[in-house]
Amino acid sequence: MKQKKKMTLLGKQSAAGWVFLTPASILIAIMAFWPMIQAFIMSLQTGSSANMHWNDPIFNNYTRMFSDKVFLTSVGNTFLYLIIQVPIMLILAILLAQLLNNQHLRFKGFFRTCVFLPCATALVSYSLIFKSLFATDGLVNAILVNLGILEKNYNFLGNSTSAKIIIIIALIWRWTGYNMVFYLAGLQNIEYSVYEAAKIDGANGWNTFWKITVPLLRPTIIMTFIMSINGTLQLFDESVNLTNGGPANSTITMSHYIFNNSFGQGAVSNFGYATAMCFFVFIIVAILAFINLKVGDTRD
Amino acid sequence: MKKRALSVLLAGVMAFSLAACGGGDEKGGGAAGGDENTLTVFAWDPAFNIPALEAAAADYKENVNEDFELEILEQAASADVETAVTTAASAGDFSNLPDLVLFQDHYIQRYVADYPDAWTPLGDIDINWDDFAAEKLDYSTIDGEHYGVPVDNGTVVCAYRTDLLAEAGYTIDDLTGCTWDKFMEIGKAVYDKTGKALLCMNSDGNDLPYMMMQAEGVSQFKDGKPYITENETLVTIVEMLVQMAKDGTLLMPNSWSDYTDKAIQGDQVAGVMNGNWILPTIEKVEANSGKWEITSMPTLEGGEGYASNGGSSLYITSNCHNVDLAKDFLAYTFGSSTTTYDNALKDGGVISTYTPAGETEVYNEGVEYFNGQPIYADIVEMGANVQIVEQSDYHYSARNYVGTAIVNIINGADTMDALQEAEDQLNFEMGNN
Repeated sequence: MKQKKKMTLLGKQSAAGWVFLTPASILIAIMAFWPMIQAFIMSLQTGSSANMHWNDPIFNNYTRMFSDKVFLTSVGNTFLYLIIQVPIMLILAILLAQLLNNQHLRFKGFFRTCVFLPCATALVSYSLIFKSLFATDGLVNAILVNLGILEKNYNFLGNSTSAKIIIIIALIWRWTGYNMVFYLAGLQNIEYSVYEAAKIDGANGWNTFWKITVPLLRPTIIMTFIMSINGTLQLFDESVNLTNGGPANSTITMSHYIFNNSFGQGAVSNFGYATAMCFFVFIIVAILAFINLKVGDTRD
Repeated sequence: MKKRALSVLLAGVMAFSLAACGGGDEKGGGAAGGDENTLTVFAWDPAFNIPALEAAAADYKENVNEDFELEILEQAASADVETAVTTAASAGDFSNLPDLVLFQDHYIQRYVADYPDAWTPLGDIDINWDDFAAEKLDYSTIDGEHYGVPVDNGTVVCAYRTDLLAEAGYTIDDLTGCTWDKFMEIGKAVYDKTGKALLCMNSDGNDLPYMMMQAEGVSQFKDGKPYITENETLVTIVEMLVQMAKDGTLLMPNSWSDYTDKAIQGDQVAGVMNGNWILPTIEKVEANSGKWEITSMPTLEGGEGYASNGGSSLYITSNCHNVDLAKDFLAYTFGSSTTTYDNALKDGGVISTYTPAGETEVYNEGVEYFNGQPIYADIVEMGANVQIVEQSDYHYSARNYVGTAIVNIINGADTMDALQEAEDQLNFEMGNN
């Protein structure tokens, strides 16, 4: 008792801090960390979900995925989407942001809304709209045939290359505006006087963009990169709704395959294997985010 | 200040309406009914199996127990029923399951193997099992114990457009009991004359190879192992399908909805081969009334082929609060009542595998859409001829991998390589290596 009374001011503050921290920490431990540990345990098990037992050898689920051709295809597809789509999307977003940040532009609000609007559509509905646009008897085919570019209707979603291209186009349409908003916010934090100074020094638009805008936007660019990589690696809705992974699993993504292993494809569910694949995705995301942070960190 | 009041008001309205959305289906939780005379059941198709269940409930209520109520908990799709069963069983908590569930036949074997605690075997239920098609019962019978009461019928029908066949110089009799080679020949003639495909399947999950093999009495499995590359029948069938796809005789839409909405209802086909539950889809194109007729399947060597695809049964869960009532209800209605089946057919187009049902007047009426052919009686008769082939828990996986192989072969892969890959993948999934 005596000791408690002697608590210093600093001690009291620190105790209060712990009291405030505890509820949130307990919640996050129960709601986030405990499921993660359980998931890891599950990833070492196999069998039907009601009767899980340990794998033999214990890391079988992990070694198994590297000889699973569908899984390897899904990893390849996901990285293809990532490598092609993310740079195109971010460059477009930054250009659009630059255009719409122009102080003399009229109807700025209208244009910004137009670019941002796709983000307000639900993932499933926009996928379905793209699906019907590119269907064999869809609008795109009708236009191309009438213009004489195509001889007869082409089954865009039935060919693996064209189906992949359509998924990428759809992704760009859906997510460019979303990233643009971050860039716009970043641009608004750059003092206009910096640009004026550059102008006085005789810098042209190209130079201002590369020497002023990009360096000052760097934190935002890194953030959008991490978010886009993370988002693309977890790509699910587009694969499920646009192509259903087809034709012949050639456009399937990792998350879609994980889903198929847990709930899809008839009644064969293998939660252990699916969880092991989730951990694989988790590790990849962590590595990429780490690299990204290291590359983007300007502090020495 | 005004703005703030307005935003508070708006937020309040929104929160309230969202809460209302959430609260709306509190009853949909699906727990077993508490009342002595009430049974609950999961079903999913308001145009098909729900009217059938309603017909059964009305029959039982009128003739057996006037206090009886059947509460149908409608699900959006058959997959929702399966997800509900899987999640309940995974959690080991069956309290969210209703007294009865209706689901597709191929699942029950695996469900009983994986989740034995989820089901109540029918035991001494008062049903004469000999009245049902043997092939249908084969699914829901495990180690000699019956688990399900058949509801609808998956017998495969081949429906053809007689007007288009006539244009190419053939009749439906030429296609009845013909060989697949002859079928390909007719298919080509029809395609050249009318531009329509005689056969159709969706490329992302196809039933066709399975049905064609069942007509030959062969399965994708042998002694519990995949039977693909060494299965000459399967290889021949796959090669034939690839050839037909190249000829334009076989149309391959990208997905199931394209199959039903664009290929069949979009009038791109001259023939449809699937479980008879596909008939209501065909009938939606009113302009073609009277032009369709149905017959049995072709076979490799010639002679009429019979197969079954899909179809569902009713199962009693372990959460059933009144097993005696459930058994009595099933035995009286789907187990032996032609009244139930007649009304199920009239209201929902549900065709039974119960042989005596095929003899009633309702079943023997000619159907105008199919040129006055008494198709229902014909289907029940065909159903009795379906051969039993080896079933597997991995039915759908096998089907998907074979389907994937077919798409790859059409796109230029080597036949045996693609099939080998399908077999490897399937073995891999079954944990055979």
